[in-house]
Amino acid sequence: MTRNTQSYFMGLCIVALLTLGFTNLHKPAGETSFALLEKASEEALAEDTPFDLMMQVLTHKRCVNCHPSGDRPRQGEDSHYHNFGVQRGADNHGVAALRCEGCHQHENNDFSGVPGAPEWSLAPIEMQWEGLSRVEIAKSMLNRKNNGNRSLAEIVKHLTEHELVLWAWEPGIDAEGNPRELPPVSKEDYIKAVKDWAAQGAVIPAE
Amino acid sequence: MKISFTINGSPQTVDVDGHTPLLWVVRDVLDLKGTKFGCGKAACGACTLHVNGEAIRSCSYPIQAVEGKELTTIEGLGDGDNLHPVQQAWMEEVVPQCGYCQPGFIMATAAMLERIPNPTDEDIDANIVNVCRCATYYRMRKAIHKAAEIKNANS
Amino acid sequence: MSETKKSKKTSRRKFLIRGGLGTIGVLALGTYVFRNNLRRSIIELSETLVAPYSGTGTEANLWIEVGSDNTVTLHSPKVEMGQGTFTGFAQILADELDVNISQITVKAAETASGIVDGLSTGGSLSIAQLFQPLREMAATMREKIKMEAATKMGTSASSLSTAEGIVSGGGKTMTYAEAVADVSDWSLPDTPPLKPLKDYKYVGKPVPRIDLKAKIVGEPIFGMDAQMEDMLYAAVIRPEHVGASMKSVDSSSAESMPGVVKVVSKDNWVGVVAESFPQALAAKRKLKVEWDIPKTWTEEDLRAVIKVGNGDRMITQKQGGALDAEEESTVSMEFSSPIGAHAQIEPNGAVASVVDGKATIILSTQVIGVTQKQVADALGLELDNVNVIGTYLGGGFGRRLNTIHAVRTAIMSKEVGKPVKYFFTRKEEFQHDTFRPPTHHIMRGALTEDGDMKSLEHHYASGDVAYNSVIMPEALHTILGADAGALRGGNIMYDNLDSRRAVQWHSDLPFATSWWRSLGLLANTFAIESFIDEMAMKAGKSPVEFRLAMLKNEGNSARIRKVIEVAAEKGNYSDTANGNRAMGFAASIDAGAPCAQVVDVSVENNQIKVHKVICVFDCGIAVNPDQVRAQTEGSIIMGMSASMHEKMGLKDGKLYPTIYGPYDMALMRNAPKEIEVHLIQGADVPLPVGEPPLGPIAAAIGNAVKRITGKRLTDLPMKLS
Repeated sequence: MTRNTQSYFMGLCIVALLTLGFTNLHKPAGETSFALLEKASEEALAEDTPFDLMMQVLTHKRCVNCHPSGDRPRQGEDSHYHNFGVQRGADNHGVAALRCEGCHQHENNDFSGVPGAPEWSLAPIEMQWEGLSRVEIAKSMLNRKNNGNRSLAEIVKHLTEHELVLWAWEPGIDAEGNPRELPPVSKEDYIKAVKDWAAQGAVIPAE
Repeated sequence: MKISFTINGSPQTVDVDGHTPLLWVVRDVLDLKGTKFGCGKAACGACTLHVNGEAIRSCSYPIQAVEGKELTTIEGLGDGDNLHPVQQAWMEEVVPQCGYCQPGFIMATAAMLERIPNPTDEDIDANIVNVCRCATYYRMRKAIHKAAEIKNANS
Repeated sequence: MSETKKSKKTSRRKFLIRGGLGTIGVLALGTYVFRNNLRRSIIELSETLVAPYSGTGTEANLWIEVGSDNTVTLHSPKVEMGQGTFTGFAQILADELDVNISQITVKAAETASGIVDGLSTGGSLSIAQLFQPLREMAATMREKIKMEAATKMGTSASSLSTAEGIVSGGGKTMTYAEAVADVSDWSLPDTPPLKPLKDYKYVGKPVPRIDLKAKIVGEPIFGMDAQMEDMLYAAVIRPEHVGASMKSVDSSSAESMPGVVKVVSKDNWVGVVAESFPQALAAKRKLKVEWDIPKTWTEEDLRAVIKVGNGDRMITQKQGGALDAEEESTVSMEFSSPIGAHAQIEPNGAVASVVDGKATIILSTQVIGVTQKQVADALGLELDNVNVIGTYLGGGFGRRLNTIHAVRTAIMSKEVGKPVKYFFTRKEEFQHDTFRPPTHHIMRGALTEDGDMKSLEHHYASGDVAYNSVIMPEALHTILGADAGALRGGNIMYDNLDSRRAVQWHSDLPFATSWWRSLGLLANTFAIESFIDEMAMKAGKSPVEFRLAMLKNEGNSARIRKVIEVAAEKGNYSDTANGNRAMGFAASIDAGAPCAQVVDVSVENNQIKVHKVICVFDCGIAVNPDQVRAQTEGSIIMGMSASMHEKMGLKDGKLYPTIYGPYDMALMRNAPKEIEVHLIQGADVPLPVGEPPLGPIAAAIGNAVKRITGKRLTDLPMKLS
C-alpha cells in the first residue's frame, strides 16, 4: 500500500516536472526536437548516468529477446531463435494454435523451467530493439508512432511498474535448473535511473 | 489448496499444492493417463490438453491456474463413443506407430482446427511443433487435412 | 489347468499342449523359438545381429490360447514398440487359424509364465523370426480344434470346415471354445500343410493396426501408465559430468520436504521417494551432492579417440590387395558422424513392488528376460520370484535394451516396503542415454582407365555398439573380433571390383554407447555412398550406371541391382541440377534387405530442404504392406533427422543438450511432403523392415546438395555454412 502510494507520488512529481519544463515531449517526438536535444547533451553519454544505467538494462537479453527485429522471438543467454520455430503471430502472442500462453503462464515454472509473467508476449514490431543502438532504442521509445502512443509519463510507468518488464529481475530457472542471468543493474537502481532520466528531461545523448 | 474445475464435462475439486503441474494432477490424481509425460519442459508437446479450448502444455501449467476453467483431455475429446474428427482421420490414415506422442498431437491439431478450419501446409508447419520420434509426420499431415474435411463436412 | 503334455505324434517342430495359461484359456499350444545352434547363431549374428537364444530351452516360449469366450490370445515373446509386429502376428494367426482378426488379442508375455524371448526384441526381426513358427503353430491348433469338434459331433475331422472361429460340418456348428472345452485327448495332430500365401485373407494385406484405437483414445497401455495400489514415486540424482562419481550427499534438506517418505542412498546414485512425482522432483532439487570429476572431457578428446588408426584394428572385409594411400590414383575422403541420442518420447522407467521376497516389475523393455535376471541378481531373489511384465513401448529404437532403472526401482521399493514408480527426467534421459557412438571414416578408391570403380576401401572407427551389451554374450566378441553392431553397413556391398576392403577401428568411450536404430548402417552408408557419388562425378558417369557396373548379376547383388534400377526409374532420376534443386541417389543393403532412394532437394539461403523421397525397398514377403510402408516412412524421416539435425555435444565435461529443441530434431516442417514407397518382394520370407531404409537417406541428401552447390558435405549433421 505504502509502496503504491509512493510510486503514485513519484509519478505525479514526474508529470509535474514534465509539464513545467519539457512540454515538448508531450507532443509526438519530431525530428527537430531530438536533434536539439542531442546537441545539447553530449555529456550524457558518460558511464553511470541515468541514461547509461537504464540502457544497460534495456539492451540486456532479458529485454531484447522479446523485442526482436523480426517475427521470431529469441531466447536464452545466447539469444538464439526460440526453439521450434515459434513466431510472433497477428497479435504478438504467437500463431493461431501455437500461443505464447500454451507454455508461458503468469509465473515462472520451476518444474519446467519455462519463464512466465502476466501478458507474456512479444513487444509489437514497432518496438523492435534488437540490433539498435542505445540512442536508436531511446528515440524509438519516445516516438509515439512506435511506443503505442505513450506519453513520457506512461513510458516511465511501463518501464518501472509493468510486471512483464520487472520479470527481468525475477527470471527464474531455466530448463536445466540454472538461474537465468539478471540484468547488470539492480531493479532499484534501474527504476531510479529511469525516473531520474525522465525527470532530467529524457535527454537522448548523441551517438 | 483446493482447486475446482471441469474436466471432460465433469466437475472436479482437488486438494494439492497450487504449483503442482496440471499434468500430474490429471495423470496421477484423476487417473487420466492419456495425457503423456515426455520431457516436463514444455518442449515435446506429449502433455498437450485443452484449457478453455486452448492447447496448453500441461507439464508447465500450475494447477492453481485452472480454477473455474474447463479442461478437455484425449479421453474427453470425442463425444462418448463417437471419435472426434481428428481421431477419425488418425484412424483412417493409420498414423500411430509406438503411439506415445499421438494424444498430444491429436489435441494440438483439434485446437488448431477450431481456429484454422482449413489449414494449409504452412499453417500445419507453423502450428504443429510437437515431437514424434517414430517420425510419423508424413501421415500426420495427411490426417490433419483429412480431419479438416471431416470436420467441415459435419458442421 | 491340466499339466503340460508333450505331443505324442511328432512333427518337425515340437509343440506343447495344456489346458490354458490364464483365467479364460481352455486350450493352449506352445512351441520353442529362437533356439539356434551356436554356429548358425554366429553366422546369423554377423548378418543380422540376432544373438543366440539364451533361455533355458526347457520352456516353450511362444503360446497361443483359445479362450472360453472364443477369443484367441497370443502371448508374444516380442514386445510392440511401434513396429506393428503385434498386428503382423495377429494377421498370421487369423489366416492359419481361420478366425477373424478381431477375435485375436496379442499380449506381451510375462516372465512369470516363463515364455518370453530370453534375448530381446530388436534387429527388426520379430516378424522375420516368428513368421514360420506362428503359421505352423496356428495350423496345428486349427487341426486340433477340428479333431476335438469331430469327437464331440461324432463325425470325422476331415468332414469339417473352419471359418471365423466356428467349426461346421453335417449341418452342425460349434465355436472353437466349445470344441476345445474339457479336452481329454492330449494328442496332437501332425501340422497340416500350410495355406499358400495367395490364399491368405490377412497376410499380405494392408490391415489396420490392431492397437490403432487404443493409441488414438489414449488408453493406458505404456510402462509410464502402469500403477499399483499404494504406490509411491521416486526421482533419482545421477552425475552430470562424464565419468563423474558421487563423493558425498547431504540429504537433510530433501528429507524435510513435503511428501518425502525416504531418501535412498546407494553407490553413485541417490533416490528420493515421495508421495507424488512433483514432490519427489522438488525434493531432489534440495539434495546437496559433491562429485568427484576425474577429467573434463571435451569434444576434441572424443575426436582423438574415435579416429581411424586409433584403437583395436580388425579387417571385416578383404578381397584383393589394399590400396596404396600414397599412390596418386588413389582418392581419399574423410567422413564423420556425431553422438546420437535415442530421444524416444516415453522416458525409461519402471513400477516395482518388492514384498515378502517376491518382486513384480512393470515396464517398457526390449529385454524382458534380461531385466528379470538383473533384478533377481541385484536383490538376491530366485528368478521364479521376479515377475517382469512388459507393456507397450513408447518408442524403442534400441534404447530399452538396458534397464538399470528396473533394478533401482526394485531397490527403492524394497527400502520403503511399498510399490514405487521411478522414471527418468528428460535430462537424465539425454545425459545417461546409451548413445549411438560417434564415428570417423576414411574412404579410399581408385578408378580404372575406363572410369569404372576398380578398388574400394572403407576404414571406420566407432565406439561400442554391440560390445559391452547385455544381450551379447562375451564369448562372441572373441569369436567375431569386430564389433558386430558398428560393422552394420560397414562392409562394401559392391562385388564387381578388383579389390574391396573394410577395416574397423574400435575404441572405448567414457560413456555408454549401444544400439541405435540401424546401428552402424546410418553412418557407414553415408560415408560409402557419398564417396561413390563423388567417384562417379570424377569418372563423369551417371551415379546409377556407375553403381550398377559395380554389381554382379547374381544373389543379393541382383536384388540390389533391382532396387537401384527401379528407384532410378520410379524417381525419374537425373544427375543434373536444375537451379537450386537437384536429385540425390544412394543405396544400401542391411540384413539382406536392399533399399535405394532418390531424393528431391533444394537449397535456399543455405537451408537444405527435402521435398520428396522415392524409396524402393526389397522387404521380402510384406506381411502387412501398410505397416512396412509406415516403418519405411518413419525410417526415412528419422534418418533425415539424424543426418541433418541431431548432435550431442560435450560442454564443461557434460553431455548436452538435455532437452528437445536444443537437441534439434526433424519436426513436421522438416518432413518431406511426399514420400513414395515401392515394395519389391524379392525373397520368399519376410525380411527385417524397421531399419534397412535408414541406410541410404543421408548420402542421398548429401549427393543432391553436392550437385546443387558443388560442396561435398562430409560430416553429420549436414549443414551448409
